[in-house]
Amino acid sequence: MTTESADVVIIGGGIIGMATAYYLAKLGSDVVVVEKGEIAGGTSSKCDGNILAIDKEPGFDSQMSLESQKLVTQLVAELDEEFEYRAPGSILVCESDEEMEAAQTWVNRQKEAGLPFRMLDRGEIRSEWKHMAGDIHGGLECATDSTVNPVLFTYSLAVTAQRLGARLKTHTWVTGIRLDESGAVAGVETSNGLIRTKHVVNAAGVWSKPIAQMVGIEIPVEPRKGHILVSSRTESIGTRKVMEFSYLMSKFGKERKVDRLTEQYGVALVFEPTASQNFLIGSSREFVGFDMKINVEVIRCIARRAIRFFPVMKDIPVLRSYCGLRPWTPDHLPIVSPVEEVPGFYIAAGHEGDGISLAAITGKVMSECIMGQETTISIEPLHYKRFQKEDGKK
Amino acid sequence: MKKSLRISHHPLLGEMDKKVISFTYNGEKLQGLEGEPIAVALLASHIRVLRRHEESGSARGLYCGIGHCMECRVQVQGKGQVRACLTPLQEGMEIQEGSRLPNAITGRVDS
Amino acid sequence: MSEIQQTDLLIVGAGPAGLSAAATISADHDFRVMVIDEFPEPGGRLLGQFHEERDHSWWIGKTVAADLIAQNTLAGVTIQCGVSVYGLELLPDGWKVLTSNGDIHTKYLLLATGAAEVPVPVSGWTLPGVMSIGAAQVMANVHQVKPGEKGFIVGVNVLSLAIARELVVAGIELEGIALPSSDLFATEETTPVAAVELLTRLSDAAPAPWMRWGGKLAQKMKLSRLIASCFPKRGVKVWDLPLQLRTALVSIQGVDQVESVIVADVTSSGEMIEGSQREIEVDFVAIAGGLYPLAELAALAGCPFLYVSELGGNIPIHNERMKTTLPNLYVAGNITGVEGAQVAMAQGRLVAHSISYDAGWFACEEEQKLLDAIDEVKEVRRSAMIQFHPEIDEARKRIYELFDHWT
Repeated sequence: MTTESADVVIIGGGIIGMATAYYLAKLGSDVVVVEKGEIAGGTSSKCDGNILAIDKEPGFDSQMSLESQKLVTQLVAELDEEFEYRAPGSILVCESDEEMEAAQTWVNRQKEAGLPFRMLDRGEIRSEWKHMAGDIHGGLECATDSTVNPVLFTYSLAVTAQRLGARLKTHTWVTGIRLDESGAVAGVETSNGLIRTKHVVNAAGVWSKPIAQMVGIEIPVEPRKGHILVSSRTESIGTRKVMEFSYLMSKFGKERKVDRLTEQYGVALVFEPTASQNFLIGSSREFVGFDMKINVEVIRCIARRAIRFFPVMKDIPVLRSYCGLRPWTPDHLPIVSPVEEVPGFYIAAGHEGDGISLAAITGKVMSECIMGQETTISIEPLHYKRFQKEDGKK
Repeated sequence: MKKSLRISHHPLLGEMDKKVISFTYNGEKLQGLEGEPIAVALLASHIRVLRRHEESGSARGLYCGIGHCMECRVQVQGKGQVRACLTPLQEGMEIQEGSRLPNAITGRVDS
Repeated sequence: MSEIQQTDLLIVGAGPAGLSAAATISADHDFRVMVIDEFPEPGGRLLGQFHEERDHSWWIGKTVAADLIAQNTLAGVTIQCGVSVYGLELLPDGWKVLTSNGDIHTKYLLLATGAAEVPVPVSGWTLPGVMSIGAAQVMANVHQVKPGEKGFIVGVNVLSLAIARELVVAGIELEGIALPSSDLFATEETTPVAAVELLTRLSDAAPAPWMRWGGKLAQKMKLSRLIASCFPKRGVKVWDLPLQLRTALVSIQGVDQVESVIVADVTSSGEMIEGSQREIEVDFVAIAGGLYPLAELAALAGCPFLYVSELGGNIPIHNERMKTTLPNLYVAGNITGVEGAQVAMAQGRLVAHSISYDAGWFACEEEQKLLDAIDEVKEVRRSAMIQFHPEIDEARKRIYELFDHWT
């Protein structure tokens, strides 16, 4: 057991923790990251890799994504390792006229918020996607959406943060958070000893709730399980991300016109081609606690949904499947805020499926917040207190 | 013409008792034994290249022989991609080696 | 996809353990037994094995497999081949097994999936014509097609020597059996000293009395290091095999397939001697990295594991009666540790009695049969021609103790 000290201790070595570590180290802060397993060993390696605005609620949510996209463009030049960054844009496709109307409303609202969205007609979809089912009505595009390899991105942030002086402690878990007489943060107790510090960032993702409880704070972050299929190497079906429009319905918990299992497992098409000649297929959403077992029924359901949009996939072998737990919050926005009751305690968690998308902006504003600088975007809508107010109303 | 690699008489195991059938590999007409794995029928005709790596184009063949390593992937007309070490040969099968594919994302075009 | 199939006992793996279990249990009881296997024909590794017994008679696996298959057919056991398992789910009254041929519901589930080979990456190993030694065995002995006219074997272990001998019997020319060169993947087991230790342990199976005697003496006097350093550079013939302990494979050469290998001389601790490289023309290379238990399905089911190097790798925790810590789930054969086919068959008979006992048939009678079967496994192991590892019994005890902790 040893005792050391740091300006800031970050709990969690996933994409959010590493982005925060990088931006803090860049500002000259002395940072220690405490991770119970490996870097990117949790949700950050069991996801797909997108920096999307297309699926964000128009307004604050989508503008935050746009800011994140701009930061990632800078990170391509700043970070020490390459992470398969591309910015080909992404699209949503519609199955009915009804969805096309809803898509038009979505596009109009995003444009008003200043984002590069536009509608795509049936012909445009057909000419770009030769293998797409013939009955697709059209869709919409967000031109700036980009894609990364999430594991490489996390590692790239980690190695660059390390070069800037950050210390990474893997296979080290937090056993307690030490407060001084005034109730402010004084240190982090770990399986490998005490780290004295005045600032702690809870970036523990799906495990952020028990970490917050260590200082008596309740946050409504719950694990939401998602499955992903990986195809074998195959001839290209497309070069950018495509999702079905009703993915938005699934994401925001609205009613959809789909069969019982598709509804029950929250299955919606997400297609993501990779640089390794294969593609990832999602998605599903389930609240089943911390159960990480692959559910074959969900896999079949995702495969059926994918074949509905890309009939050619019927003959493409699936290489493997995996699932991850996404840190869900009730309003689909992350918590990025200081905790006033416990001076020195900060939360950067609850990004659900937007962790890769929002990591850069989250890390940036978290570093600014801790260093007492003005934040790049307002983080007021992301304050953890919004959930306490709701509880008060009830 | 090289002589077949078939062991016509094994001192302890004797003869193989299977029907001779025809199939094609990359369009070439060949003969093999019914029900033996595709990789075996090809090997008997001195064909070891089953696939070109999708990215690098390097030649690949049978490695583990038990369906685990997935190195022996070939295309069979009507069946799609199969493992040559486990898939039994049938009369008239049309088999193609697994080929190098262009990479639309990195922009590599040769195949 | 076909409709759900129902059975009382499903055995995954139609090899020596699985077929023996099926034959034993069905011979005793009116009980639905189904065996499935991913390979197109039943028999597993029995199909490709043969060896010479102490009395110079030949033990031929193919014949043993044919006998077992005939017994099973007679007893009404269903054997389905070409079926892959991709999922397992525990049900209140048994297991749901997801296969490429549809779902199967079974009360009892036996995993007898055997072992797979440890790959040894060497320069040039992706070239067509380079294969695992097990694949070479299957080509030559199961399908009776030579893996090539002239080959080279990389890796000195029980498996490589046994299969090398089979290849020579089949009329295949071998240019050498040598160690892989020391690199990132090399372990202590790949040094000449370790190889000599192995050979002295195998001396029971040696074809000439002086070799058996010499081997035992070497083992007793701990002469391995000395022998390794005196081992002739050009190798010696063991069972007509060109064994080269002071030579290591450097790389495999060829454009579209194997054309030659580059080898070099090494010191007794495995370091390469500069300037000793030479090229040997061959048309196939067999890589022998040893075996590890094939236990993915036990992991999928949720079994706890223990890594036991003497048994070849990660072993699902089980007891002496072959029961895992999960309800109605059993294991037998190489999934419980790497050993020979005869031990696997004895384990198959044992697990059959264990399942019968748990099913509650003639419990008092079965108890004795079960205890006898446990003794039989030990006896078969003791008298086996080839001992895979000297400390197998002790290693197995560690697993059984852990089982007691779990339950």
